[in-house]
Amino acid sequence: MTNPIATDVQPVPAAAGIGLRAPHVARVRDEHPRIAWLETHSENLFAAGGPFHDAMDRIRADYPLSLHGVGLSLGSVDRLDDAHLRRLRELVNCYQPELVSEHLCWGAIGSRHSNDLLPLPFTEEALRLMVSRIGQVQETLGREMLVENISTYLRFEGGDYTEWDFVAEVVRRSGCGLLCDVNNIYVNSVNHGFDPRVYLDALPREAIKEIHLAGFTSKENLPVPLLIDSHSRRVDTQVWNLYADAIDLFGPVPTLIEWDQDIPALEVLLDEAAHAEEVLDAHRALAV
Amino acid sequence: MHTALSLSELQQQFMAALYDADVPGPATSIAGNGLAPEARLHIYRNSCNEIQTSALRTTYPAVLALVGEAFFDQSARGYRRAHPSHSGNLQAFGETFAEYLETLTGCRSFPYLPDVARLEWLRQQTVLAPDSQPIDLVESLDTSGGSQRIVLHPSLHLLESRYPVFTIWHYALQPTSTRLVLDGGGESVVLWREDGEVAMATLDPASFACIAAFAHDYSLDDAQAAAMAVDPDFALVECVESLLQRRLITGIKPFVAPRKEPPTCR
Repeated sequence: MTNPIATDVQPVPAAAGIGLRAPHVARVRDEHPRIAWLETHSENLFAAGGPFHDAMDRIRADYPLSLHGVGLSLGSVDRLDDAHLRRLRELVNCYQPELVSEHLCWGAIGSRHSNDLLPLPFTEEALRLMVSRIGQVQETLGREMLVENISTYLRFEGGDYTEWDFVAEVVRRSGCGLLCDVNNIYVNSVNHGFDPRVYLDALPREAIKEIHLAGFTSKENLPVPLLIDSHSRRVDTQVWNLYADAIDLFGPVPTLIEWDQDIPALEVLLDEAAHAEEVLDAHRALAV
Repeated sequence: MHTALSLSELQQQFMAALYDADVPGPATSIAGNGLAPEARLHIYRNSCNEIQTSALRTTYPAVLALVGEAFFDQSARGYRRAHPSHSGNLQAFGETFAEYLETLTGCRSFPYLPDVARLEWLRQQTVLAPDSQPIDLVESLDTSGGSQRIVLHPSLHLLESRYPVFTIWHYALQPTSTRLVLDGGGESVVLWREDGEVAMATLDPASFACIAAFAHDYSLDDAQAAAMAVDPDFALVECVESLLQRRLITGIKPFVAPRKEPPTCR
């Protein structure tokens, strides 16, 4: 699917960006710090007006932009929330982000919303549902969307696919792009006991348009290791290593540092972004 | 024993368990892998509770300061069970928190608490309201006839309370060393957006009646009459000028049809 992107859209470069969160909006707007690109949660722009829109009007002139949704609940058996999807379409038309993404998960059913990213069983039924919903969203938006693999804390019994085959098949059948969250792959590899490199190897390289990196926390005093995708810390060393492997496999991809809880000073995020840039640069140096 | 559930059954049972700790959920369909399936499900239950409670804490900081964390979090748990989130946009969650607080016996000793919550919900609506271009001049305003009406900025909201809700809100978030003395009188509050921030002020009863009438599309004449019924000395021009100075008038339109209901903002 091609993107009917207006000519003034700034392409998101294969470099490190940060997730723009409320504590840093004013500084980014006023001081224009050196950041390759920015991503914001789509839902933070759902309000009709107000100061965040005012800030984003200026910020989007200075930075390439990605809109990342957390509440569309693509994998719910219930139909998609029409109003949510309409508002997303308005935002995409208004802000013209180069990247638009959502999660490979479900979050709501029967008019109750969890406001969380809930796991799907890796069944043919869930796969077909995801493919159909991604098709509906791409048709409504008139452009490509990316879906992101999530962290999970349980697996359902049975299932027809491994997680990596499920993700790859959703992307293959729907024609969407993939937002590969390397931290989520690592977290799941610990939580469910698999080799994260097998996961990376199974992904369709040409579909990977973005990578997410974030910090996790560890649940203590459990009989099994369990990592929580908390977005509350620096990226773990193991995840940096896996990221380097991912870049070796996929080539340089736009990479985002996410931090949503205990949000630190902007300098800390920029430092994490600089680390990602080093990995990208190292790959480019070797590729020459 | 694992029984294969349809995706619909799985999601319904999962969601029921997230909202109610007594519901086991689809535990038999969850692979334990070293942990009880219920323990794995409980991670999601906690996470959902924490996400939604955190949203309420953000929206209702003065209520939180007044009742303390333990009572607030307990109320939030009860609230989300009684009034589940309906939207993937968390900014829409919590609209009926004030009404829920009214039902709690633990809140009876804070009878003003629901109105503090109403004020905080309106603060959020004020921040998120649509933008609209204010007008600079009211040369075309005909204060002698009833054929026109004032269009207010969408960020303007009103709250009338039997309690000194504005004073209590300030005290909750910026307590002073002196004990708060309340004379028992209520306060009427106007909220609006100014330079991207929420501004608030208390209004005298006549000005409140007039602005509330504007908000309900009354004609200038009827708005003036509503205000003068409260205070015969009310001056319409001063009220309109003060709205204009704060850039809260976005248009003057022909008055169309009278409304039968009296103006109310609750």
